[in-house]
Amino acid sequence: MLPLLSIATFLPIAGGLVLMLRRGQSTQAIHAVSIGVTGVTFLLSLAIWAGGIVPGGFAQVEELAWIPAIGASYRLGVDGLNLPLVLLTTVLFFLSAIYSARLKDRAATFVVLMLMLETASLGAFMALDALLFYVFFEVSLVGMYFMIAGWGHEDRQRAALMFFLYTLLGSLPLLLAILGLYLSSGTFDMRVWIDTPPLTGIAAMLALIAMLFTFAIKIPSFPVHTWLPAAHVQAPTVGSVILAGVMLKFGTYGLVRFALQMTPEAFTKAGLVILAFGVFSALYGAFAALAQSDLKKMVAYTSVNHMGYIVMAVAVAALTVDPKMRAVALDGATLQMVSHGLVTGALFFLVGMLYDRTHSREMGDFGGLLGGAPWLGWAFILSAFASLGLPGLAHFPAEFQIFLATLQVQPWAIIAILAIVVTAGLYLRAIARVFLGEANEKWSAMPDLGRREKWVIVPLLVLTILIGIAPATLIDMIHTTMASLSF
Amino acid sequence: MGRDLFFLIPELTLAVTAMVMLVAEMLRLPRLVLTLGLVGLTTATLLTLSVLDANTTVFGGTYRIDMLSGWAKLILLPGTALALLLARAELAGQDREGSVYSLLCLITLGALMLAGSGDMMLLVLGVVLTGLGSFALVTFPRDDAATEAGMKYLVFGSVAGAVMIYGLSFWFGGTGSTLYSELGQLEGRPLIAAAGLVAVIVGLGYKAALVPFHFWAPDAYDGAPVSIAAYLSVITKIAAIFAFAQVLRDLPVSTGWPLAIALVAAATMTLGYVTALVQTNVVRLLAFSSIAQAGYFLLGIVALGVSPLALPAIIVFGAAYVAMNLGAFAVVMIAGRSLDDFAGFGRRRPVIGLAMVVFLLSLTGIPPLFGFVGKLYLFGAAIDAGFLWLVVIAILNSVLALGVYLRIIVAMYSRVEGQANTAPISRPLAVAIAITVIVTLAMGGFAGILPS
Repeated sequence: MLPLLSIATFLPIAGGLVLMLRRGQSTQAIHAVSIGVTGVTFLLSLAIWAGGIVPGGFAQVEELAWIPAIGASYRLGVDGLNLPLVLLTTVLFFLSAIYSARLKDRAATFVVLMLMLETASLGAFMALDALLFYVFFEVSLVGMYFMIAGWGHEDRQRAALMFFLYTLLGSLPLLLAILGLYLSSGTFDMRVWIDTPPLTGIAAMLALIAMLFTFAIKIPSFPVHTWLPAAHVQAPTVGSVILAGVMLKFGTYGLVRFALQMTPEAFTKAGLVILAFGVFSALYGAFAALAQSDLKKMVAYTSVNHMGYIVMAVAVAALTVDPKMRAVALDGATLQMVSHGLVTGALFFLVGMLYDRTHSREMGDFGGLLGGAPWLGWAFILSAFASLGLPGLAHFPAEFQIFLATLQVQPWAIIAILAIVVTAGLYLRAIARVFLGEANEKWSAMPDLGRREKWVIVPLLVLTILIGIAPATLIDMIHTTMASLSF
Repeated sequence: MGRDLFFLIPELTLAVTAMVMLVAEMLRLPRLVLTLGLVGLTTATLLTLSVLDANTTVFGGTYRIDMLSGWAKLILLPGTALALLLARAELAGQDREGSVYSLLCLITLGALMLAGSGDMMLLVLGVVLTGLGSFALVTFPRDDAATEAGMKYLVFGSVAGAVMIYGLSFWFGGTGSTLYSELGQLEGRPLIAAAGLVAVIVGLGYKAALVPFHFWAPDAYDGAPVSIAAYLSVITKIAAIFAFAQVLRDLPVSTGWPLAIALVAAATMTLGYVTALVQTNVVRLLAFSSIAQAGYFLLGIVALGVSPLALPAIIVFGAAYVAMNLGAFAVVMIAGRSLDDFAGFGRRRPVIGLAMVVFLLSLTGIPPLFGFVGKLYLFGAAIDAGFLWLVVIAILNSVLALGVYLRIIVAMYSRVEGQANTAPISRPLAVAIAITVIVTLAMGGFAGILPS
């Protein structure tokens, strides 16, 4: 039996090391390695999927001693919460590798950073050891810092610095919480912490507050979301896709895996506050997005909105005593993570493609692009509809479950549904101003999507539709775990 | 007697090596001095392995052969060997080159005595032995800056040493013995305990460059050759920290020393990084950063006797600190002392630039690098001992630290047109950087071999 999880985790960075050691390769060869490695990693994640999961625990666990003196080990495993995220990660990195195949500026370094980020992301999702999780979590910050600082837009140094300082400040409280859990249990094994939460009372509440601080910044939730628009606007396209599609999920994943599962009592006590933050974030993100004229910033703020729904769902799951509703809420939350990754990933790719052609992201600069570039236009329109929650597309089944559970458990919180109306409005406005209306002469010669770009965008659209019309495959897997959660 | 000497074999080896090196220096054979030093240090390191598991004392309890002193040898001896390589790269061909090597070995002997001391007399001896050699090394360039730095260092050191001896006389009076192991008698005699404690904090705090006894450090480091600054920032500092641990673990907790040390730690970390934030001279920046790092060490000290993680924490972070700090100074030797010298450095020299990024991120405490493992142990120990507030301060300072170190990283990858100074790097320097970067990178993954 091959250790598939470890191979999938470390294959990307191994590819990166080969590229570092064999310097002076042609740009083409570098990108071929990048696409090849991320492609194989994607296939490996499918194999892990085929390996299946088990209810009430972790499957395909791989273990190796690391620092036995303090009970830290290398432990990986999958369940219905992290496996969908693993699949999402490998898909997005594979497509990112294809997208960046035209990059010529220090291509080797860029690819190495991207591959390092893939290893860090997969490791963070699959780690069953809190220390290992923290290691991967922080490595991802370093990789993203250098990606923004090295390949971002005009104001990249400042944005990268802000991102790094902000998120490091955010992640250190998590280290405190991890140490607190460790000192009261004597191990870093997350399974032990989940099965028998080691902290109680005030200690558990302090640990929860520390963790919420960390994950709220990562998600990002109001009021600690301010790093996100700056980082997104300055980041290169692939950086934005990875940041929004994969790395924001560390926050929501951690919210469920750490905050909810390891300090369940405290989480239930704080549930209403967390729910309020979720509701406010969802509304705030939608209205803030409405105020943007920069397309990339707009998409970035809709992330705050969509991630707010997930926070709501997790809080609702903690507040209810009905195990069925809890499963519905958590199913919705997990599916929302995947949908958001696919849809927002597609939107960032499309905005990036538009920027590649025009060096502009201002809605006002465009107009009537649909005629000249139907592929780009229709792909954007489809993704935008998915993002605003149209039935039949990826966000609908997720948000439906979230709102269903919310309505059952805390009916007042349903006001967040207003955000959907706002989102619909802002996307329709963006579509109208950029793709419809009077054609702007300036862009009449703008080419439509090329073959490489279609290879990037079409799979995302197909997946968006597939999840929209047949979410059962994914939900069944998620539900296996969520229905057996006991806390 | 024979048994006692057996346990001291590593120290004796080092002492003999230093003497032989002096003879070779008299013959004006600097290369031979260097070779003898490297061979002697390596031999002493290997010989340490045979006494590593021992937990005993020799010569009537005055010298301790325990985990702390054993690991001190395993850390300081290879660290000194690396410092010899750095000194060779910087000072090769200069007059009195060989004296530097032999002085470095002699100071390390004093450092080992500090780390293994079980008696106040030995503590004083260690402070003096490390001090005398250091003053001489700082003034090595014989220019104004170095002379001034040396004078400051000497005057500061003499006063701090005198205060320490004076304070220790209180302990001697209170217990009737110079042995640390008798310090337990001070239970319930807070004034005597406090007098000695203040003295030790002054004496060793000066040696470890803790706030508020740190003023000499930036000047001394900046006046001295970079390789000497690297050595002083690492070897004598760790020796002083280990000596702290040896003294304080015998002092009753009821005297309130953990709180005193915790306050010093908070001030040291914060002031160190805040001051580092505005430096434009990289040597001074690293000097203030190493002041701050000394504050982190104290997180382990405050947990002594309470948390089983305390001693491993000091040792692990000590090992990490030697590797990453020596490495960072080694890169400064290539790039230059000014922050402007670093502009575009990472683009001109991608490999060395990457090494510098590794050192700086490790100093910040980013996983999975070695510095992170050290800080993890330190934080764990301090929380275990109930110093959560101190860990919160330490964590906030880690963010400040990132701001400090990113200033160098940002400069390294800024776009600069102009002369590409890519003279080949001397072999000793390349070897030193290679070793330190491998240790910094890999030991995070193999932290299991470290003490528990």
